Amino acid sequence: MKSKIIGAAIFLIIVVMAVVMFGSGNRKETITIKGYIGGEKTGFFDDEAVQEILLKRYGIIVDYTKAGSVEMVRYNDYGDNDFLFPSSQMALEIFKREQGELMLKSEQVFNSPIVIYSWGEVAEALEAEGYITKENGTYFITDFERLIQDIENEKSWSDIGMNLYGKINIICTDPNKSNSGNMYLGLLSNMLNNVAVTEDADVDEIGPRAKSIIERLGYMDYSSGNLFASYIEKGMGNGPLVVGYENQLVEFALENPDIWDKVRDRVAILYPEPTIWSEHTVIALSDNGRLLIEALQDEELQKLAWENHGFRIGLVTTERDSEIIQTVGIPENIDQVMPLPTADVMETLMKIIAQ
Amino acid sequence: MIRLAIAVDKKGLSVKRIKEWDQQFINDEGTTKMKKNFIILLLVGIIFLLSGCSSNETLTIISGSENETLEPILKDFERETGIHVEMQYKGSVDMMMEMQTDAINQYDAVWPANSLWISIGDTSHKIEHASSIMTSPIVFGVRKSLAEALNLVDKDVSIHDLLELIEGDKLRFMMTSATQSNSGACAYIGFLNALLGNPDTISLKDLENEQLKRDVTSLLSGINRSSGSSGWLKQLFLEGDYDAMVNYEALVIEANQELVNSGKEPLYAIYPYDGLAVADSPLGYVNNGDADKEEAFLELQAYLLSDKVQAEILALGRRTGFGGTVSEADERVFNPEWGIDANKTISGIRMPDAEVISQALLMYQTEFKKPSLTVYCLDYSGSMQGEGETSLKEAMRLILDQETASQYLLQSTPKDMTIVVPFNQENIDVWVVEGNNSSEMNELIGKIDHLDPGGGTDIYTAAMYAIDFIQSLDYEAYIPAVVLMTDGKSNDGRSFRDFEAYYEEKAMDVPVFSILFGKASEDQLKEIEQLTRSRIFDGKDDLISAFKKARGYN
Repeated sequence: MKSKIIGAAIFLIIVVMAVVMFGSGNRKETITIKGYIGGEKTGFFDDEAVQEILLKRYGIIVDYTKAGSVEMVRYNDYGDNDFLFPSSQMALEIFKREQGELMLKSEQVFNSPIVIYSWGEVAEALEAEGYITKENGTYFITDFERLIQDIENEKSWSDIGMNLYGKINIICTDPNKSNSGNMYLGLLSNMLNNVAVTEDADVDEIGPRAKSIIERLGYMDYSSGNLFASYIEKGMGNGPLVVGYENQLVEFALENPDIWDKVRDRVAILYPEPTIWSEHTVIALSDNGRLLIEALQDEELQKLAWENHGFRIGLVTTERDSEIIQTVGIPENIDQVMPLPTADVMETLMKIIAQ
Repeated sequence: MIRLAIAVDKKGLSVKRIKEWDQQFINDEGTTKMKKNFIILLLVGIIFLLSGCSSNETLTIISGSENETLEPILKDFERETGIHVEMQYKGSVDMMMEMQTDAINQYDAVWPANSLWISIGDTSHKIEHASSIMTSPIVFGVRKSLAEALNLVDKDVSIHDLLELIEGDKLRFMMTSATQSNSGACAYIGFLNALLGNPDTISLKDLENEQLKRDVTSLLSGINRSSGSSGWLKQLFLEGDYDAMVNYEALVIEANQELVNSGKEPLYAIYPYDGLAVADSPLGYVNNGDADKEEAFLELQAYLLSDKVQAEILALGRRTGFGGTVSEADERVFNPEWGIDANKTISGIRMPDAEVISQALLMYQTEFKKPSLTVYCLDYSGSMQGEGETSLKEAMRLILDQETASQYLLQSTPKDMTIVVPFNQENIDVWVVEGNNSSEMNELIGKIDHLDPGGGTDIYTAAMYAIDFIQSLDYEAYIPAVVLMTDGKSNDGRSFRDFEAYYEEKAMDVPVFSILFGKASEDQLKEIEQLTRSRIFDGKDDLISAFKKARGYN
């Protein structure tokens, strides 16, 4: 009897070992790749379909930490992190200049234009004042320059007939931490510079004017993801005009079709004319980081990035294009785009803001 | 085999495979029935162990006390999933301070009232998957007849209007501590903004404005009782006889439900148009690198955000959904008679820069709030000998040594009064320090250290003496409190009945807190807690919160 028990125990151990081996033995070795990403990309990496392709085709599990794009390229110590995934070329430029020796490779993988999130009532008031125009169901800020001038001149919401407290302003993330705020700073400066790209010679005049507009915002979040969440959750009173990426609302609409049906008419996306493209770029710090760059160029992942998360991806077009464009109410093409000031000018502007 | 099927749900593939192996084994081997049963039994045992890893998962959440109302929902979640949720309560600003240190690692999730505090506190980006569960604006809840008398009903009210009433002594209100809780902090920032004449945002320079300092000090003197978190404030409000409180719309609804049930007058909610803020109650995961916990967390979050549970949360007076407003809300909950308007757009001030917020909070504590008048009654009876005595003396060093105290923002201000009454079966002595002079404080520490415990215990005589002492001073100018530091075994002299009669006769509304040391017994202290609407703290775990509480940081 005793030997039977021992026999059974040994058998059990074998069973358990076999299960353990069987359970993990049928796929190639998986690698966990660690890195920092901008908050607007958490939805993409949390998507199960994305995770499955990364794991099955590339053996990759991505372990990300959310951080501001401008903040993440200025850390002193990257520990065992394999990659950074900021949201602009600008962040890449800063990284290249300050810690370029750490970079093995970089690649731009997604695009999204900077937009201003708003609400139906606010959009109607702005339209009545002639700042914005509706074309084919999309709002364009056709007189962006005048809107910025009026913000600079401290026009109130009540001046344009809105029952909202305080002065008109556009809320953005901290330009010294997060990319969307940073790009807005560039765009704002260009507007203040009579719709011309701000250059070295303009900074002394434009910088302090931009600062006086931005400092009126008080607390600014470090993450575009957080700012978007608070726009959508706290409502119009808390954020009548909020800077974000186009993909954030597209992602929200695609992920929550039921809610979207109910709120479509309440929210509004305003496209500044001109706007600026945010170019989401992976910076590889290790060979594993390079592997991620390779994986993210996978055609199917690119398709998911667009179809589920609203990142515009360039060449790949999909059958769902028109459906997405119509459901969410976004323009097919973004035509009026202007470049950001150069990295040097941006850095000067950022320093002025931070003073 | 039924157990196996259950386990498959919980543990996924690997268990299923055990099941296949198990059957294969039974078919192939054709061994004796006994051996078969034995192995199945063992397998079942192992599966129990394996599945135990996930179904016994516990999530410890540090949360604002306003979420206490949601506990029945968390119990349902536990029944459905086997994931145990343990809630610990604290104010959101306290939570923000914990996020700045390693102290946050002891929790699996944070659930403050406002995402602002995660943004400011989470400098090392440990908080992930944060998502708002519900929203609720901060309002002024004023006794309805008083609100009518003060002409606050059915009109647009500004913070400034309320300030005038407070300054004219027509309105006294309760609010949570600005340095501990979101609602108190937002209200305080709203007051600063209004007193500064509503600038776009408050700057560091604004805070140096002498007129502002005088105005805030006088304003805060109108606060009659306060607490460290919004849920507790509601409790305190219901236990006492107060006129108004600053709290979330949701908690004014809760308070009103209780008030109406007990035949009392409800509160009328006022939404000042130039102020206050919206709580968005984000639930975020603390990433300590435990994948099972993370999975359990995401399950909880998805559960709370499911349509069914969101409807339950809405029925509890929280706004759900999107955009911060609810159309067609149940008017029995969002009752227009109480001034509640769930469809109202809340337009508020912008919070100032993080640096300004920190500075404003520091000034609240050190300059603006009423000075504290604290009587510490220290138990030197024989039963305190050993561990109790040692921890009591250490605790007093922490609060009196100004350098140590300042690490916890607990340092005294020049206007504070510190009184120490050592006692056993009688009061042994009384030592008083006015202000925050370090050498006087150190001298006091020396006296406390030199005294040895012995004799019986009479906590009531000591507490009565403390109340007397407070009465002998101009106590309305202070935040008065008695702190009993004891093992709670009163066995000599006066009884609770004596104390009760005395306390009721005085009617001074002074809380008598207890901090427990040694092999403590709470029974007698619970009576005091109830009578004086205070709290009992553990001398090991809650020392800092106990001192904050007693010193009127809340």
